[in-house]
Amino acid sequence: MLNIYFGEMNNVSYGPTWFKYNYELTWFQEPFVQQMLEAVDKSKYVDGSVIESPVLGPIPPEKLSGGLKTLIMIYEMPDKIFDATSCGPNCARWLLEIGKKRDVTVNLRYLMPMEGLEPFELIIANNGERVRTAEAYTLAAVDYL
Amino acid sequence: MTGKHHIVIETLRIKYEFDIRRNLTIIQGDSATGKTTLTDLLQDYARDEVNGPIRLQSDVPCVVFGGTEQNWESFIQTIKESIVFIDEGYSFIRSREFAEVIRQTDNYYVLITREALTCLPYSINEIYGIRTSGRFHYPEQIYHEFYPIYKEETECTLNKSAEPVILAEDSKSGYLFLKNCCADKECISAEGNSNIYQIIKKMPREKKMIVIADGAAFGAFIEKVLSVARYHRNIMLYLPESFEWLVLKSGIIQILNLDEILNHPESYIESSKYFSWERFFCELLEKETSDDPIRQYHKNRLTDFYLEGKNKERILEVFPEEVKVLIES
Repeated sequence: MLNIYFGEMNNVSYGPTWFKYNYELTWFQEPFVQQMLEAVDKSKYVDGSVIESPVLGPIPPEKLSGGLKTLIMIYEMPDKIFDATSCGPNCARWLLEIGKKRDVTVNLRYLMPMEGLEPFELIIANNGERVRTAEAYTLAAVDYL
Repeated sequence: MTGKHHIVIETLRIKYEFDIRRNLTIIQGDSATGKTTLTDLLQDYARDEVNGPIRLQSDVPCVVFGGTEQNWESFIQTIKESIVFIDEGYSFIRSREFAEVIRQTDNYYVLITREALTCLPYSINEIYGIRTSGRFHYPEQIYHEFYPIYKEETECTLNKSAEPVILAEDSKSGYLFLKNCCADKECISAEGNSNIYQIIKKMPREKKMIVIADGAAFGAFIEKVLSVARYHRNIMLYLPESFEWLVLKSGIIQILNLDEILNHPESYIESSKYFSWERFFCELLEKETSDDPIRQYHKNRLTDFYLEGKNKERILEVFPEEVKVLIES
C-alpha cells in the first residue's frame, strides 16, 4: 500500500543521492524497473550500465532523471522514507503501481495530481485517511501543504 | 538588476533557449524534461568557458548554486548582477532567511522546485515547465524551451443561474473597489492569499465565485487554489498583476512613458529595490498622485476619484469581459 505524508517531515531521504551511491545494475534487469524507465525517461536499458536516452544518447544510470531515480529507490528500498517531491506529475501512476506491489511510505511537498488514475487506493499518512478517488485525495491532501 | 535576459545554452546534441525577466522564476513540471540537465550544462560550461564543448549566450553571468545547506548565504552574498540557478533538493529555499537574503541582492533567481515557496512573492506568470519542441529531432540537436504553466484567467463554465460571490485576496484598495462595484452582490475579503483555498473548499457547490487576487505574488498559492477549484467547478479566477496595475492600465492617471512601462515593466523594475512587481506599481501610483488630494492613491483606502463615474468605468474596462459582466450584472 502507498502511504503519503504531505508537508514537512523529518528524516526523509533524497532519492537521487541515495540512488547515486547505492544503485545495483541487477535492478535494471527487472521488468518493472524497465517499464518505469521507458515510461518516465523514455529510455531503454541496453546492457551492463548502458541506457539509451532519446535526448542524451547512451548514458550511465547516474544520468537518469531525479524522478525516476527516486521511484527506483522507493521500489528497491521500501523500508526507507524518500522525498517523492523529486517525482513529477508523470511519476504519479508509478507511485501507485509501487503501492500495489510493496508497502511504502513517501513524503510529498506538492500536490501530485492523481486525476485520470482511478481506480486507486492510497493512505494519507498525516491522518490515516484511505482515499480512492482523485477528488478525495486532493481535498484531503491540500490541507497539509 | 533590470531587464529581460535571453539565454541560449547549447552543445552539439542539446539546446536550451529561454528568457528570464523577473527576480524570481520557478521551473517545475514532469520528471525527465531536462531541468537538471540544464543546470549540469551551466556548471560544465563554467569549468571551461573558452575551449569547452558548451556555448552560452547571455548578457549577464549564469551561475549554478554550488554551495550546501550550511553555506548558502555566504555563497549567494558573493554573486552580483547574475542569474543564479538553484537545482531541486535544497530545503533552504523554503526559509524566511533565504527570502530576506535574496531580496537585498541584485541577482535574478531561477529555482527548480515543485514546492510552494510561501516566503517568496513570485508571479504566476513566471512558473514554467520545460518542453522539447518539434524543431529538432534525435539524433540531431534537441531543442528545449520554457512554457508558462499557469494563466491569468481560468477557463470554466459557471452556473448561470447562481448569483456570483466576489472574493478579493485582502481588505485593501482592490477589495474596496470591487465592493463598490458589486452593489447588492456579496463581496468578501479572504484576508490573505493563503486563506483563499479554504474559503473555496468550504463554499457550497451550487454557489458561483469569482476570485480576484494579485498574480504578481500568487505563485505559491496557485496550485492549491486551482486543485480545489477544479472540484468546485463554479469558480473563476482572475489574477492580474495587481490592483494598482489595473488602475495604471486604465489610463486614468497620466504618467510619462506609462504604456512603455506597462508593456516592458522588467526594464524599469530594479530587482534589488522591488521584491515583487506589485510593489513597484503601487509605489508608482502613490508617487504620481501624491501632490493631488483628489487623486491621491493609498493602498489602505480609496478616494472617490477611483470609485465613481468614468474613472470607475475605465478601471472596470481593463477586466476581461466575462469577469466584468459578472461583477456588474
